[in-house]
Amino acid sequence: MVKRVLSLILTTVLLGAMLVACGGGSSSSSSSGGSSSADSSSSSSSSDSTQKTYRVAFIARAQADSFAAWLANEMRAAASQYPDITLDVFDSQANDDRENSLIENAIANKYDGIIVQANNAEAQRPYIEQIVKAGIPAIATNPKVDGIEGLSTIDADPYEQGAVNAREAVNQIPENANVVVLMGPPSNFHSDERRRAWEEEFFAKRPDVTILAEDHANWNKDEAMWLMEDWVIAHDKIDAIISMNDNMAAGALEVVKDDPRFQDILVYGVDGTAEAVLLIKEGKMTSTSLQSAIDLAKLNMEAIYKLMTGEEKEIHEAVPAPLINASNVDEYIELFKSLGQIQ
Amino acid sequence: MISLKRNGNPLLDRNSRFMEKYSIFIILVAMLIICSLINENFLSVNNLTNVARQLAVITILAYGAMMLIIAGQIDLSVGSVLALAGVLSVSFYKSTGSLLGAVIVGILVGVACNIVNAVMVTNFKVPAFIATLAMMTMARGAALLYTKGQNILQLGDYVVIGQGAVMGIPIPILILVVVTVIIWYILRHTRHGRSLYAIGGNMEAAIASGINVKRELYKVYIINGVLVGLAGVVFMSRVNAGLPNGAVGYELEAITAAIVGGTSFSGGIGTTMGTLAGSFIIGTLNNIMNLSGIDSYVQQIVKGVIIALAVIYDIRSKNKKTRKLIIKNEG
Repeated sequence: MVKRVLSLILTTVLLGAMLVACGGGSSSSSSSGGSSSADSSSSSSSSDSTQKTYRVAFIARAQADSFAAWLANEMRAAASQYPDITLDVFDSQANDDRENSLIENAIANKYDGIIVQANNAEAQRPYIEQIVKAGIPAIATNPKVDGIEGLSTIDADPYEQGAVNAREAVNQIPENANVVVLMGPPSNFHSDERRRAWEEEFFAKRPDVTILAEDHANWNKDEAMWLMEDWVIAHDKIDAIISMNDNMAAGALEVVKDDPRFQDILVYGVDGTAEAVLLIKEGKMTSTSLQSAIDLAKLNMEAIYKLMTGEEKEIHEAVPAPLINASNVDEYIELFKSLGQIQ
Repeated sequence: MISLKRNGNPLLDRNSRFMEKYSIFIILVAMLIICSLINENFLSVNNLTNVARQLAVITILAYGAMMLIIAGQIDLSVGSVLALAGVLSVSFYKSTGSLLGAVIVGILVGVACNIVNAVMVTNFKVPAFIATLAMMTMARGAALLYTKGQNILQLGDYVVIGQGAVMGIPIPILILVVVTVIIWYILRHTRHGRSLYAIGGNMEAAIASGINVKRELYKVYIINGVLVGLAGVVFMSRVNAGLPNGAVGYELEAITAAIVGGTSFSGGIGTTMGTLAGSFIIGTLNNIMNLSGIDSYVQQIVKGVIIALAVIYDIRSKNKKTRKLIIKNEG
């Protein structure tokens, strides 16, 4: 008897829920298209359609390395400047499989705009093509992905990031110098391009320079330190540290910073991190080039907004890679102080 | 007393017993000799100090791994907890200027995370592998969340722990020596240490002999927590930054050092000095390959091969010892 009453109640509730859902569903029109008048939120910056909120997905490569984390933070900050954009950030955790799944999910969840920061351009290529095919505005950023029609790109050129340092180094590194080279993860596009820049802009022009040792420190300060500790034992004269990013340069520098044998050592990096800027100010590091997450994020938000509102069909932007050295380091110190990364 | 099985020669037998007991140290000495021949820089005071200093963090972690594996447990969260403890310790120092306080904070964080591990393992019977795997991702996430993925800079005098020296001896080495003595003492001369061997060797027998397994497991996880927290402080101060994504994979390095040093995954077997030797075998290998400029891809292959060989040699010599014991008792 009790069971029967219970099942009756349950069935009524279920039926009722279904009716309400169906009824609710049919009365509000689909969310894109802008003809719905039921949405009464008061955001005001849409042009013709009423209060449309654009949902943007940013598929980040990884939130675990400090540059990628900075970029994700800046993306959020940039998105907050647009009252009608809601940004969702997804973390691929430096894993191709995961990134590809996140891209597929974003397409399935019908985001209005998708920004992809590829872990490995070739691995993500077919999935990014799917975004374009689905008619969703898409941007590939940091790194860009070439050769997909309809895909917008915003990137700093890693070749240029390495080259601005290398060009100066041609005149700075002494004759017959011995140098060590630190690279990012194997077959990482940014690391490889920066290395190519050093090869073409420096090593090709300075055949007198010897590379004593070259290894992958995977962007990490502690790994670079470990390598440098062994290298200074093996080679007592090292004239320059050439690093594909600032973290690794700082790690290698940590080993020799108090060693009088290396007080004139030249140190080159890329990224323009707060740490590098401080080291340049102290005269320990020679130069780096800025990879501005702030600029990248701002440009990405501007671009995706224009793409989603139909103002533009395809956008390609290159972010500059300004050189930071002793002559202009103060303005970057001010920048990082304002960001709270330097006290 | 003297087994006469092989060929009846007591002198030869004494030698082979010596070989069995000290096999891992023999490997280490052999390596040191070979390395000094390969590279003239290897045997210098500078280099050996270098190696010891580099190994301090991993060896401290390896002691924790050893104790846990002896007791039939494992800890995969070590690298992540190290990072969390390290960044919180650094942060504490930057706000208060108290170095002692910062060290205590680091240790407390390590202990707290390991108490969670112990709760999962003893109260909820979660296998240690899974429980510490969960802690691995939790702690890493917490470290990244706390620092927003950015490195903490401008550490000031915090670096003295990892980069300073007392009477010419680098502080990390001094810390390593002190920790080694303490761990050796705990394992050999305290009831807790002996109970770990019992629990790992035969859990039922341990319970039957009156050992409070739950309490001893809590203790060993807490000791592990102290070691991990301390390692976090040394790591960050060596690197002069609070790195939320530092020490990735260190749990594997620590476990490898313990296993190469003779700790057995089946539980109940392992020694402090063996773990120290195991850690130095791996560290020496890394060092000689870097000194010789060997390509990093080749280095990884070589390292894997040497580790496998070292463990095979160690296991075979233990099996010989066990066989002899069995034969002696039967005969």
